[in-house]
Amino acid sequence: MIRFEKVSYSYPDGTPALENVNLTIQKGEFIGIIGKNGSGKSTLALHLNGLLKPQKGKVVIRGMDTCDPSKLQGIRKIVGIVFQNPETQFVGRTVEEDLAFGPENLCLPPLEIRKCVDMALSEIGVEKYRYRSPKTLSGGQIQCVALAGILAMEPECIVFDEITSMLDPDSGTVVLESIKKLRRKGKNIVYITHNLEELHSADRIVVMEKGKIVFEGDPESVFMNSSLQNLGLTLPSLIELAAHLKTYDVKIPWEKIYSPHSFAEELCRLFLKM
Amino acid sequence: MPIILENVSFSYSKKTPLETPALREINLRIEKGEFVGILGEKGAGKSTLLKLFNGLLIPETGIILVDGLGPSSVDVRRRIGMVFQQAADQLFCRTVYDEIAFGPLNFGYSRKETNERVNEALEAVSLDPKMLHLSPFSLSGGEMKMVALASALALRPDYIVLDEPITGLDPDWKKEILETLKKERDRGATIIAVTHNIEDFFPLLEKIILIREGKISFHGSRDDYLKAGCLPLPPIASMMRELKARGLPVNSAAFNVEDALDEILRVKYVTQKESISNNPNKKLQHD
Repeated sequence: MIRFEKVSYSYPDGTPALENVNLTIQKGEFIGIIGKNGSGKSTLALHLNGLLKPQKGKVVIRGMDTCDPSKLQGIRKIVGIVFQNPETQFVGRTVEEDLAFGPENLCLPPLEIRKCVDMALSEIGVEKYRYRSPKTLSGGQIQCVALAGILAMEPECIVFDEITSMLDPDSGTVVLESIKKLRRKGKNIVYITHNLEELHSADRIVVMEKGKIVFEGDPESVFMNSSLQNLGLTLPSLIELAAHLKTYDVKIPWEKIYSPHSFAEELCRLFLKM
Repeated sequence: MPIILENVSFSYSKKTPLETPALREINLRIEKGEFVGILGEKGAGKSTLLKLFNGLLIPETGIILVDGLGPSSVDVRRRIGMVFQQAADQLFCRTVYDEIAFGPLNFGYSRKETNERVNEALEAVSLDPKMLHLSPFSLSGGEMKMVALASALALRPDYIVLDEPITGLDPDWKKEILETLKKERDRGATIIAVTHNIEDFFPLLEKIILIREGKISFHGSRDDYLKAGCLPLPPIASMMRELKARGLPVNSAAFNVEDALDEILRVKYVTQKESISNNPNKKLQHD
């Protein structure tokens, strides 16, 4: 579905941001991308729909090269990006207008545009904000509307660049629930974050450092890898506790580490059985 | 001298159809030198409370005293350093130097004294002096936050009041900010922070104020907070509390990985021992 072949990119001031990156993303996969600030995560995201073009190597989205200008519209219909500060991606006076912008830009007929907007509003459950100005919404609501704006273009792959970092926990949960729903519908999710706990159920996690992919694997193998902390990444405390317990022969299955509730349940099952 | 609030209430858009009560009958005493966390859900009134401390908002009813002075006193502004959630909202100067020097100059300190304070503040937040000549708006989110904090520190405030100081920052900057605050606390400053990042802040907090629907629903030490069964809790504390509720004899005051590990291993040892000493009996019964 998405293929990076030996991609390198440096910013105009000479800072290398990506170095020889090879990555394949399969259809329907939920991929988490983690790494310290400046490790190249966001640069990688911007390559996913041709906002940035590789200086070396190539990025191919379902057979279309992002360096081919004639393919860009097709690529942007497939891959949509939701940014950390969604205010920067609003263009409409009302939420409805904003949602219509994308499909209109793709030259869809008016009736079709209306359908896309209705679908996106109901999918994320933000119909009630339809006639509101995006400026009057709270952080979590804005993030949901930005997501709906991307959905209105019916992309197959949605890239999220640190979307929960400015949100309070409740709003974060609402946004994450919407993402889970999309995943169940078979959408490709590329999720960039500092909050490692949000990636507990990802299919695969890619760890970046200084523009390179240094490690990839399923969440359990990545999070339980001791070198993760050397990369300056902080493990969620329950996962850290589970990793320590494992060395004392107390094994908590991965799917139970997710919440304090399931963690406690498993410990009681282990200890009260003895 | 402490910060004292007596029967303080505040509503937004008072006497209009949009009137929204934010705080009701708040009674509070924050002692000097404490590290205080203000917790609560979105819209509970946390940020409103912060803005009352230095007179950015004036209460409808009640009295606020900071070291015995009313919050509209200019001296209170010098004693309370404020750092807002969006650092960019409080930065407005052409260079980082101007930004940090603005407060001291505004209070009439000499250029020499101001320069000393700028250097001292810059050192406290561990920023590179080369940065002084840059525009604050060319900096990263973490650096901007540090400049905002430095401009508050340049007044050598007795109280440092922060609204969501680490939200949106990456782990390295979070650590930097928390370490700076800890140092300021050790210097004798009172730190009052509104935060959702309970896991990061919890180890530092000495006192916790929990606000729910405009009222104080808890105010006390961190240990009492854990005992009182309040929410939110860091994940580890929440897990330990559940272990205890399910009948495992753990000390539910553990909230970090090390203490939780010790407790769980201790309980493992105890339950193992019990089960070994119980086994012979079971065997006898079976026989």
